[in-house]
Amino acid sequence: MTSKEWILDSIRQHTQTKYDKPELSVDAITYNDKQAKFCDILQQVGGEFYVLKENEDLNKVILELNPDAKRIGSTLSYITCNTYNPDELENSTELSGTDLGIVEGVFGVAENGAVWMDQNVKHKALYFISEKLIIVLDKNKIVNNMHEAYRQMEIGKYGFGVFISGPSKTADIEQALVIGAHGPKGLMVILK
Amino acid sequence: MSTKHSIAAAKFAANKEQATWHNETLWMVRAKRDRLSKEIPEWEQLRDLACNIKLYSNSHLEQLLQEFEKNATANGAIVHWAKDAKEHNEIVLGILRDHEVKHFVKSKSMLAEECDLNPFLIEKGIEVVETDLGERILQLMDIPPSHIVLPAIHIKRQQVGELFEEKLGTEKGNSDPTYLTRAARKHLRDKFLNAEAAMTGANFAVASTGDIVVCTNEGNADMGTSCPKIHIAIMGMEKIVPDQEALGVFTRLLARSATGQPVTSYTSHYRKPREGGEFHIIIVDNGRSQILGKPEHIKTLNCIRCGACMNTCPVYRRSGGYSYTYFIPGPIGINLGMLYSAEKYFDNLSACSLCLSCSHVCPAKVDLGEQIYRWRQEMDKIGKASKEKKMMSGGMKFLMERPKLFNSALWMSPVVNILPRFLKYNGLNEWGKGRELPEFAKESFNEMWKKNKVK
Repeated sequence: MTSKEWILDSIRQHTQTKYDKPELSVDAITYNDKQAKFCDILQQVGGEFYVLKENEDLNKVILELNPDAKRIGSTLSYITCNTYNPDELENSTELSGTDLGIVEGVFGVAENGAVWMDQNVKHKALYFISEKLIIVLDKNKIVNNMHEAYRQMEIGKYGFGVFISGPSKTADIEQALVIGAHGPKGLMVILK
Repeated sequence: MSTKHSIAAAKFAANKEQATWHNETLWMVRAKRDRLSKEIPEWEQLRDLACNIKLYSNSHLEQLLQEFEKNATANGAIVHWAKDAKEHNEIVLGILRDHEVKHFVKSKSMLAEECDLNPFLIEKGIEVVETDLGERILQLMDIPPSHIVLPAIHIKRQQVGELFEEKLGTEKGNSDPTYLTRAARKHLRDKFLNAEAAMTGANFAVASTGDIVVCTNEGNADMGTSCPKIHIAIMGMEKIVPDQEALGVFTRLLARSATGQPVTSYTSHYRKPREGGEFHIIIVDNGRSQILGKPEHIKTLNCIRCGACMNTCPVYRRSGGYSYTYFIPGPIGINLGMLYSAEKYFDNLSACSLCLSCSHVCPAKVDLGEQIYRWRQEMDKIGKASKEKKMMSGGMKFLMERPKLFNSALWMSPVVNILPRFLKYNGLNEWGKGRELPEFAKESFNEMWKKNKVK
């Protein structure tokens, strides 16, 4: 008997009452101004936001906001301020030392300030290894809550996706909050 | 009458300053949880749903685990099944050996703790590095976690400062959390870049898609799986949720309940192996299928390991994680320990005041306190009831069944007021430790009633 058979057999033997699957419809919270809520929560979780004005140049804004960034990685066609394209590198480890990563999010979630990232770069390390991460997001693509989020999220060819809510953080030393544990020390969402 | 828990708790409580800090800090986390939960009007509906989804999924494991395996396999993952801890550890070792892995990075997993994975692998010559900051601190100290979400909650910053000074070469006397965290970041960054394989636990496994979902704040699971080609995800079989719709209920509850955050910084969904890599998933039973046969305790399988029951527990907060004899402390640990081995872990049953606060904060509505109460009724059957308590309740029963004797005893009771202390507070009176007897009234209610003194 394989372990799989042994386990399934044990489950069959021990399972008693079979409970029905509950109706999953939730009358979940919605917001009049999803963008305002998203930005508010994003700040609460240690992130920053910038709303791009009409006719404002995205690349110029990024450079102005990050004057010290030397190594800038991005695969986006409309980003010209990058210093390299991570997709052209062979190994993820080569991304180490990236000051600024610029990526695009699929949609934002108002209730928790998260942005859904369906991996669309060769190395997902870009999301985590950069000292600071900028996520460019269409301001019209913000959903109210996670129920709506899961109804529309998809995972594409790389087979990985992540909700990112603010920069990486820890409070493992005496519950003192420190922004920037292993992932980015800063996270900005640019709404355009 | 003392249990191993109460003896260890007395030691923890002896350091008053530290015990007070521990209590107040965890209460602060509980208060944050309250604040966040109240921002969601449908919070209670979510808790009900979470409970009902788990009751459904845990009573349909045969079907859901196979559905999960089918989908995960179609995605390119390799699914393993482990009956117990030993088999789990051997599967992990087998994978690492197949790929000649020498450096192995791990993100937090209570299942790996349950299986004692680290010592097993280290003995086989593999470098195992915990990458969650709290877990890494404890690994360098060679001690276990004392909380399932805040593993190093019992450690002071000065201790971390001294530890890092010795192990990572940080400045002498610097115990600033930001400074120390940055030092760990640098130290672990090297480990991430040089590892050949990474392990994560699983917060959820989605049957309909084959996804493994991992929630962290530090980003260590993601850093770990970003560089090495091999990813091993391990899951207790109760981590299964039927579909994404159900997953949404849990990702809304988890971080709010655990740390009072709207969601963790990273909620990662692993579906396929990395390009040119391998994605292994190990489904572990290790006694879980047996729990299915105990209807009164089946809800322990609802647990999503958020730690809210610990943060709220007046006993846990004041006695610390090491007072418990099972590796998971607090209300859920008391119950899981009893299910694993009642003989071995019955001491923890005393670590409960039956206030039921745990049951009221649990996001998946595990009836934690109620189950502890039920276990206590079973103590005599397994021969673990306290002799002193048995004698006392035997005496009470004798008295209660004899109204005349009871009334005489009551009439006599004010005598206790004038007894010398050594007769009242001695080794036989466990209750009297740290407590003072109230004064007995000169007249009982019964007598007053008879004399028509009660208006």
